[in-house]
Amino acid sequence: MTITRAPTRTTTAPAPAPRRRIPLEPYLYLLPHALLFFVFTVYPIGYGLYISLHRWDLLNPVKTFVGSEFYRNLFTPGTPQADFFWKTLWNTTFFTVVSVPLLMAAALGLALLLHRPIFGRTFFRAVFFMPGILTVSVMGILWRWMFDNQIGLVNAARDALLGAPPIPWLSTEGLAWVPIVVGTVWWTLGFNMTLYLAALGNVPLSLYEAASLDGATPWQSLRFITLPLLAPVTLFVFVTTALSSFQLFGQSLLITGGGPSRSTQSVIQYITEEGFSNAQYSSAAAMGFVFGLIMLIFTAAQFGIMARDVKGDGA
Amino acid sequence: MTRHTGSFGRGAALLALLTLGAGQWAGAQGYTGPQVSLTFLHGFTGPDRPVMEGLIKTYNDTHPNVQVRGQAQPWGTTWQQLPALVASGKAPDVVVINEDQITGFVARGAVSPLTPAELKAAGIDKSKFFGPLFATADYKDQAYGVPVSSVAYVMFYNKDLMKKAGLDPNKPPRTRDEFLKAALACTVDKSGKKAGEAGFDPKNLDTWGVSLYNNWVGARAAYAAILQNGGQMVDKNQNAAFSSPQAVSAVQFLVDLVQKHHVARPNSTEEAELAAFSQGKVCMFPSGQWYLDRFESQKMNFGVTFLPRVGGTVRDAAWGGSSHLTLPKQRPGYDANKRKAALDFMAWMSLPAQNLAWTATGSLPTQAAVAKDPAFAKAPISGIFDRLGSVYATSGYPWVGQVMGPFDQAWEAAYLGKKTVAQALADGVKESNKQIEQARKNFQ
Repeated sequence: MTITRAPTRTTTAPAPAPRRRIPLEPYLYLLPHALLFFVFTVYPIGYGLYISLHRWDLLNPVKTFVGSEFYRNLFTPGTPQADFFWKTLWNTTFFTVVSVPLLMAAALGLALLLHRPIFGRTFFRAVFFMPGILTVSVMGILWRWMFDNQIGLVNAARDALLGAPPIPWLSTEGLAWVPIVVGTVWWTLGFNMTLYLAALGNVPLSLYEAASLDGATPWQSLRFITLPLLAPVTLFVFVTTALSSFQLFGQSLLITGGGPSRSTQSVIQYITEEGFSNAQYSSAAAMGFVFGLIMLIFTAAQFGIMARDVKGDGA
Repeated sequence: MTRHTGSFGRGAALLALLTLGAGQWAGAQGYTGPQVSLTFLHGFTGPDRPVMEGLIKTYNDTHPNVQVRGQAQPWGTTWQQLPALVASGKAPDVVVINEDQITGFVARGAVSPLTPAELKAAGIDKSKFFGPLFATADYKDQAYGVPVSSVAYVMFYNKDLMKKAGLDPNKPPRTRDEFLKAALACTVDKSGKKAGEAGFDPKNLDTWGVSLYNNWVGARAAYAAILQNGGQMVDKNQNAAFSSPQAVSAVQFLVDLVQKHHVARPNSTEEAELAAFSQGKVCMFPSGQWYLDRFESQKMNFGVTFLPRVGGTVRDAAWGGSSHLTLPKQRPGYDANKRKAALDFMAWMSLPAQNLAWTATGSLPTQAAVAKDPAFAKAPISGIFDRLGSVYATSGYPWVGQVMGPFDQAWEAAYLGKKTVAQALADGVKESNKQIEQARKNFQ
């Protein structure tokens, strides 16, 4: 990829404006967005920080400054926050580590299949994309039913086909992740597949023709032509999928309720519980900031990789 | 889960409303001051919404000097907005608050107390309501709300299945012994062997005695059992206390139903047990009364009874949820006439005629006079009416979330067999008290 510099502006303007006057016009253009940005982003972040440093309750006129108390709770063994924040953060990370490769590999595989001119191609593209338009509640209830300990389709199929005893998916630590991960892959696969399909359409056919003249096998074509050319979109898919996986909330809430023993509770679900079920707003705000900071570092690292790749790839 | 919706006897109740005539029960003088308008915020957004709107309209039509403007929005939105509205002096005149939120709002100063003089002037007689139901909105011996809607944990039972098991379908169990006897009689494995018989295979049940399951609704059976055995959720200092010997013994009985007597399925979910009850696989299905509509429309031959005393013999008890009309705290200089009118509206709304009309939404009666109404004579739900005064909500302490969250987790661990009952409850209390200790700092 090459970076082209925008052509320098040719000045055809008549007389130059009086010197040292700050032009107002560009700022007026920026103003609407800046207003929204300040009202809905900067101010809430600042206010959130204020909440996290005080014992804050809207109804309590006294909002005592407590400094880093709620942040320290997170690092003091034995507090509920230290116990559950890191546990649920680990749960969320586990989900991300397991689901992202699946969501990428399966999406790429499907895209490779459905890129070829096979019969019913459009139909299957629609079939795989369709689940993505469902709301998380529909998706959650559906997969909860599929994996129900007693009446789930999966256990019924195991019984009918293998004569195997039912597995208590929803109430076994570890196994409870299966419906969440499988459901999420089924639900969000189509979006990544569509991105890959679009990228595949941009790979010049002449490269494949040249390779086949040189005697390349289909595997070699895939390995040395398709995959390298898909690298930019693969990175994009990786970054967006990882970020959305870290925001796991509805799936685990609806399928397992975060259980058993909080083993599938996501960090956002725990923060919500602390804030709105326990009415510990300051504590929830502090956790929100720590989680946000972790995400920021994670995203910065990804952008670092992306920038390096783009530099190495083209130029 | 929407637990404040559902319907039964809608026609009958509406008919009764028409015959009685709205407002006929009005005992007190009513509001006679200058014309005021009131804002009324509530969370009845489902099929119960038109019923509430109908009642508001009737009130407005019969009270020319008060105009109530109802606003329905999801409960959760109200819980998030109410503090801001109160803090900025823009609170609605009347707000409906549910049982699990009310004490928290009271303790945080969002709701204003209803003095005995005010209640008397408005004609609200708390002795006419079911005691524990009215007391749900009490805090430190002060009343803060008047119940307008009520749901409860009940026990549905399959009459056909009971008859088949040799039990009298018109005499559902009341005590622990009767309950266990019925549960054992109902439990048969796929080869026809009964629970307790030699060769009985608890892993392949054809029909079984009772539904227990793992979620917050399932945990309410344990809640009731603890109260039945004289246990409590919190002690007098409002610290978690659900690991007392009474509590352990009560919950142990429920867990034994799974692990020892094999009359309930392990690892079950509410959905699975609901399906099993609908298909005639399980005799007794304890759950929210909101499923009534479903079983009625399915034309099942079922009965509804109060939860038997499985936990112990101290008292009858079942969990219940409720919604209360409250007066939020207003800014200084708030129009005194508005408060009088709001009290009048609350009084009118909780009169037997209105409460009867409200039961069309699936709510239980809030007072004995309504429960005695002939409209319920043939309704299955009347099977619990003799003990409606023993329905207990989770309220009275400001940290319901901090107590019930760990309690639900403890039930999960005990029911799934991950911990012994004593260990599960002790761990739950420990976690709960850690959280209460933190929450307490917010109230100083």
